[in-house]
Amino acid sequence: MPSFRYAGNELRRRASRTVLTALGLAAGVGLVMGIVGVSAGLDRAQQQVLSPLGSVGTDILVTRTVAATGTAATGTAATPTPSATPTPAAGQGGAGGFFAGGGGPGGRNGGGAAALASLDDADATALLNENSSVITDLSKLGKAGTKFTHDFFLAGTLITFPQQAVDTVASVPGVTSVTPALTLQAQHQTGTVPNIVAEVKTGGETLTSTTRPAPLTSSEQAAFRSCIVANGGFGDAPGPAPSPGTRPGGGQGGGGGFGATQKCLPKRFQEYQTNVVTPLRTIQQIVNPPATDTTSSSYTAAGVDPASVSTGLITKANLSSGSWFSSDVVTNSGQVLVSTAYATKQKISVGDKLPINGTSYAVVGLVNPTLTGNTADVYFTLAQLQKNATKTGRVNEVLVKVGNASQVDAVAAAIKKALPGAQVVTGKDVADTVTGSLQNARDLASRLGGALAVIVLLAAFVIAVLLTLSSVAKRVREIGTLRALGWSKGRVVGQIVTETTGIGLLGGALGVGLGYLASIAVAQFSPQLTATTQGVAAGASTVSSLFGQVGGQAVTRNVQLTAPITAGTIALGMACALMGGLLAGTIGGWRAARLSPAVALRDLG
Amino acid sequence: MSDMTANLYLLESVERRYERGGSTVHALRGIDLSIAEGELVAVEGPSGSGKSTLLQLLGAMDTPTAGRVDFDGVSMAGASDKALTGMRRDAIGFVFQQFNLIPTLTAVENVEIAIGRGTGGKVERRTRAAELLGTVGLSERGDHLPGRLSGGEQQRVAIARALANNPRVVLADEPTGNLDSATAHEVVDLLAGLNTTHGVTVIVVTHDGEVASRMRRRVRLRSGEIASDSGAA
Repeated sequence: MPSFRYAGNELRRRASRTVLTALGLAAGVGLVMGIVGVSAGLDRAQQQVLSPLGSVGTDILVTRTVAATGTAATGTAATPTPSATPTPAAGQGGAGGFFAGGGGPGGRNGGGAAALASLDDADATALLNENSSVITDLSKLGKAGTKFTHDFFLAGTLITFPQQAVDTVASVPGVTSVTPALTLQAQHQTGTVPNIVAEVKTGGETLTSTTRPAPLTSSEQAAFRSCIVANGGFGDAPGPAPSPGTRPGGGQGGGGGFGATQKCLPKRFQEYQTNVVTPLRTIQQIVNPPATDTTSSSYTAAGVDPASVSTGLITKANLSSGSWFSSDVVTNSGQVLVSTAYATKQKISVGDKLPINGTSYAVVGLVNPTLTGNTADVYFTLAQLQKNATKTGRVNEVLVKVGNASQVDAVAAAIKKALPGAQVVTGKDVADTVTGSLQNARDLASRLGGALAVIVLLAAFVIAVLLTLSSVAKRVREIGTLRALGWSKGRVVGQIVTETTGIGLLGGALGVGLGYLASIAVAQFSPQLTATTQGVAAGASTVSSLFGQVGGQAVTRNVQLTAPITAGTIALGMACALMGGLLAGTIGGWRAARLSPAVALRDLG
Repeated sequence: MSDMTANLYLLESVERRYERGGSTVHALRGIDLSIAEGELVAVEGPSGSGKSTLLQLLGAMDTPTAGRVDFDGVSMAGASDKALTGMRRDAIGFVFQQFNLIPTLTAVENVEIAIGRGTGGKVERRTRAAELLGTVGLSERGDHLPGRLSGGEQQRVAIARALANNPRVVLADEPTGNLDSATAHEVVDLLAGLNTTHGVTVIVVTHDGEVASRMRRRVRLRSGEIASDSGAA
């Protein structure tokens, strides 16, 4: 048993050294706690954004896309529609469509089909059908020259499927709940209805040429006359009976005389009476699309089940202001929720009205969608969006909740089997695509932070050891006396270790205080981190490519960094400080124990 | 040497050399000395005569380079640190010129920390420490820190501490070197009194002739050798 009172008195007597050593340890401990806290904060932030599906009560997202991944679908699918434009002749129906097809089957088999060759036939068909509303004849929006504003709702690469598929998913064992949703790419267009739709066809005409030949020469006339006469020609001259065989043209009247005339005319007169049919040619003339002042902006619209408040693309928990949809079907069909990011950009606030295709929607709330790939800007009720997009009874996303987290992968596989062609994404898949400053900070914290903590802690340890050694050097006579009095080496070491452990405790306490200050400082400055995910599938779609937009659907979310301090962190900090104290005490004590007791006798002045 | 069994110390041909700065210092050159139990001895000599080295050997703080040092029939030469530590704790008491009290501990605590661990519990040790302070006439000042005590009082606390484990011998290194003559007289009286009343062997190293004259036996060193020895009384 070391003497605690002796140790305590000793620490008090050398208070400045004690405090200095303790402060060194405290700095190390504080930093370690700060780094551990920040690391925990980053973990927490990551948890918040990296399990986005989980945070909306969803484990699996079921969609149907034209290809396995969003990016691949974008690259391939972006080609067909524009390529159909310069070849209007191909399968052009008579509709006078601005773009190929006008929804007719011909358009689908035209230029688009070739470009879509790499896609599955069924997928290609579905993709074009889904997006057919973009191939809209603008002239149908009004008389040429009038202004129009219209929102087109398109599925992009996220193909819709009948709502019955939801029941199929629900029947998969392990699924506890399913929530259907519809996410569409909305193109908001304003402009003037274009005034010409040109169509040019050439070739295939019959050309008739009439030429007056030069009069017969007198010799020709004589020959003609004699020929006529010889063939029993003119009435005034006797001749043989007309031969029916010489009159193939018939119908000329005047007896057989005309037949003879034909026969008797010189060759050149005979040729000029033939009709000339020009060779059939097709002259292609490129018709520029009519110039209009059409401007287009896009946003994402989603239809959610207003009755599903805890699962779905958004949940009641995502509300940042305002309120959720009304439970009344008639009322809620006229209501929308707007994402805070979109609301900020568009200066929309709760209570505003959003006019869309002639209907005014009341903005009842702002939501902070979680970091799924399919966050939308404007949320309608599912039924209303289906109506707007004329997709009644169709959805393109099913959010699935699984009873047991360990079953997620198995259930995902089962859904894939039950719905061939479905893309099944789990929360982990989404998390894997996350990038941004959060991810960077996380990497930084784990790599640099850890190293920094170790370095600072080691420095604190070294300082503690050096100060303890210097303290031992100053107490040579005292330690020698203790040894002379019969204190064993172990007892001397124990006494020194007791003292430095006391310093360690003090340093730990100060360090925990510093750690708390660091935590508070982090919360005060609250650095904002961003996390970006490339999204699941609705990503840069055919449509947004068509309208010259590239990407843009990556979802970014800001997270406030905190540095929470837990009991474990405090324990770790204290442990570090005590370890420093023990280390310093052991080394200092070992040095002290090596002192000869004879130093007690020396006259040290 | 059966006649030597009564000897507390038996030194034969003791040499102690130090390597210092490449040269060898002969601190002790063949000391033959025996000290019996209950003697009151003064070791005298000028600086560098080897008296401090001799004290270290007698105090089990050091071992001889050559020769034999027996303490109570046990050889110190080649003994382990643990064995020497045990001897110091159980059988040897030290009194230093500069008192060497722990400044942060009270008088009674200074005595207490010298009491061996084997001696009862904390309460018993505290009681014994108080008794020892009473022995040196300081029972009223036990709660004082050394800084609050006079030099003579501090040295008396040191003497009480030296007695903590009922030693066979008390070794005093210039015990009066830091005291005025009146106080020095009291301290020498105290040490001599321990010898006479308790029968404790007392060896005082001093260059003070007056202090030496109070001892019954005077051993004088010069250049690491015994110059004169008044001999066992």
